[in-house]
Amino acid sequence: MKTRRAWMVTLVILAAALASGADAAPPKDAIVIGLLAEPVTMDPAQVTDLNSARVTKRIFEGLVAQELGSYKLIPGLARSWDISKDGLTYTFNLRPNVTFHDGTPFNAEAVKFCYERQLNEEGPYYKTGTYPYVKGFLGNVQSIEVVNPLTVQIKLKAPLTPFLQYLAHQSLFIYSPDALKKYGKDIVKNPVGTGPFKLETWEPGVKVVLARNDQYWGGAPKIRQAIYVPIIEAQARLAAIKTGEIDLTIDVPPDSLDGLRKDPNIMVAEANSSAVWYVALNTRHPILKDKRVRQAMNLAINKDAIVRDILKGTAIVSTGPMSPVYGPFREEKTTRYPYDPEKAKALLKEAGYPNGFEVTFFVPESGSGMQQPVEMGTVIQAQLLAVGIKAKIQTMEWGAYLKKYLDGPDMAEMSWNPSIGDPDHVTYMLLSSDRFPPAFNAGFFQNPRVDELLRKGRTTVGDAERVAIYKEAQRIIADEAPWIFIDHGRQIIIHRKRVQGFKLHPNFDLVLSQVWLQ
Amino acid sequence: MAAVGGGGLPAYALRRLLLAVPVLFGVSVLVFAVLHLAPGDPAAIMLGAQATKEDVQRLHRDLGLDEPLVVQYVTWIGQVARGDLGRSIPLGRAVLPEVLLRFKATLLLTAGALAIAVVLGLVAGIVSAVKQYSWLDRLSMGVAVTGVSLPVFWTGIMLIIVFALQLRWFPSSGMSSPYDSGVTDVLWHLVLPAVTLGTASAAALARLTRSSVLEIIRQDYVRSARAKGLAERAVIARHVLKNAINPIITVLGVQIGFLLGGAILTETVFSWPGLGSMMVRAIQARDYPLVQGGVLLIATTFVVVNLAVDLLYAIFDPRIRYD
Repeated sequence: MKTRRAWMVTLVILAAALASGADAAPPKDAIVIGLLAEPVTMDPAQVTDLNSARVTKRIFEGLVAQELGSYKLIPGLARSWDISKDGLTYTFNLRPNVTFHDGTPFNAEAVKFCYERQLNEEGPYYKTGTYPYVKGFLGNVQSIEVVNPLTVQIKLKAPLTPFLQYLAHQSLFIYSPDALKKYGKDIVKNPVGTGPFKLETWEPGVKVVLARNDQYWGGAPKIRQAIYVPIIEAQARLAAIKTGEIDLTIDVPPDSLDGLRKDPNIMVAEANSSAVWYVALNTRHPILKDKRVRQAMNLAINKDAIVRDILKGTAIVSTGPMSPVYGPFREEKTTRYPYDPEKAKALLKEAGYPNGFEVTFFVPESGSGMQQPVEMGTVIQAQLLAVGIKAKIQTMEWGAYLKKYLDGPDMAEMSWNPSIGDPDHVTYMLLSSDRFPPAFNAGFFQNPRVDELLRKGRTTVGDAERVAIYKEAQRIIADEAPWIFIDHGRQIIIHRKRVQGFKLHPNFDLVLSQVWLQ
Repeated sequence: MAAVGGGGLPAYALRRLLLAVPVLFGVSVLVFAVLHLAPGDPAAIMLGAQATKEDVQRLHRDLGLDEPLVVQYVTWIGQVARGDLGRSIPLGRAVLPEVLLRFKATLLLTAGALAIAVVLGLVAGIVSAVKQYSWLDRLSMGVAVTGVSLPVFWTGIMLIIVFALQLRWFPSSGMSSPYDSGVTDVLWHLVLPAVTLGTASAAALARLTRSSVLEIIRQDYVRSARAKGLAERAVIARHVLKNAINPIITVLGVQIGFLLGGAILTETVFSWPGLGSMMVRAIQARDYPLVQGGVLLIATTFVVVNLAVDLLYAIFDPRIRYD
């Protein structure tokens, strides 16, 4: 009978599919990485999200680079550089004999071309993209001069010390000018850089395959291919790494970490990150403007319990904006706020609120770097209530939240994963009065001495002097308590045992040049 | 049900397609308004916290979001009329090839789910009706009620845990292996998501098929067919099913719409590279052009499926005429 035959055929196909699937094992020299989502764009000038950065940073490079595992700057496409005494002129000596993946030479003209594409609104290639960070990173540039094919000179309008770190950000990475001229707006899916890997294929929604660049100036990587697959659902990501479908993945649910640590095939790699998670307090609010109230709120929260019970140890307790990855720039001797509800109540009484008060508390449902915003918000609410403060939670979807956050809420959760390795980027950007909304100082924190220090820190050259500046700023900030300081998330990745030599980087990058497979 | 003027089937189909134009226009206005009135700004979401005020403003302007809403709508619909759905905001890629590519994956998933729904649903429904009140009937209807009630994201995660993680029969997500892609590989990846998506529809179809067949099976001509000595199998296939099929087709049409909608969740759970998982991301990013393009494509599909269902009636039931 016909239907019976159809059934048989179906069964045979299914059996064949099953059998073929069982054979599909990962190749020996290709690493498969499970990302939360596929890259958005591969034009470094337009990248704004971590997934895109994690892939494009394999393909492209900047004039300067960060040492793996720290924010220390090392030569990239520039072999060396020189900064004039007035801090205005940066001269870069470029690496010779470097070619882009399309065979065209990397030189000073390419550097000028890439920066001017973003900077010059009247330029012929400005309309080939939209550039998220150009004002922030290049707004202070006066001119870019080609001195000779291997020397480029950048003049600034005013001294800006973090500028060198900006050059290590993907938005100022260098791509082939020929490729841009050829592809125009479609450069977003046709990346041509100088990096250790080049794009082989990109099937939207399915996978991105990068192939080793055998001509790489720094020596070809050990792995032949890096394959990135998007796996949205956390349980599916876990299943995929346990079964060996993928080799490495990120954003592991904290609850599953204990189980993973016991799995003999899986390694858990952890390191501190530059992230900071806090509750911004509106310093213009009639009650919250009192420093004692803000300090009391810090004392009322049991941060250790949040880190231990909600985040399952995937974070460390925060005492200020800067996490330990900032090394010498981080001040340890600041005002601390251990969990002390009695002291909190006393401070509230002293400030004139013995019976507490009521505020609204903005909480996003989820969001980039927000950890477990709802659970954390609920605990914070309960602990504030214990000292008499009634925080009314309003939850919002992330897209709406980002807008509402800048409307001057009483108190609101926020997290910050600085993409720039300079202390300026986590202090000035969040707590200077130059950065009131629509920039991200959402609590309108304003302290004349902090403003002065943070402005000075941006223009001072020389680490020793800058260390003193940022340490003083951190002491004042901690004492002023513009936020409820909660935690610095640790970055956690899990990988199969065959992945060797992997090392985490503080800005959440997944560097592969040094990785090999067993 | 479908008597409109003269001209027969082709003219009827053409008129229905023309009627779809105002429907799609309405959809375009609605989706544009809902998206743009929802709080959130694509420039701000894209840039996150690290951008300067000037950069957000500049991006806003470069994306054309400074224009009044009406102007933005007219610009967009003008492009659409010329077959250009614009460029995705964060992706920077043209919307039309992007949504068509994703739509192929969604169609594959929907087709797989539909196959499962039709086979399971019809078989269970017919068996239940023919053996009414037997244990088979009770079992399949019990399963059907459960099937209708289970949310796909739950079914999906359960299937991943059991069949991908424990038994390792099927992959946990995606449409193909990272290092292998052939037809069998795709089919292998299709099984779990298609079962997830198809189960609820199978259950709904089974219940309807049962009641539809039960209604026909009691008719006099069925008794006559049996009386003249036809085998039971022939009676069911030739006399019962043929007459029970129209309500089933109607529900099938509705189910295709349901499957396309359900695909959004299923695709997210299984990271299936279809329109649904893409739309979820696009909505979160307030990627107006991509969401609008995706919704228009889905709306067009609905219109086409509905038309196809109406035309199918005539094929299965010659009593229906389109003139």
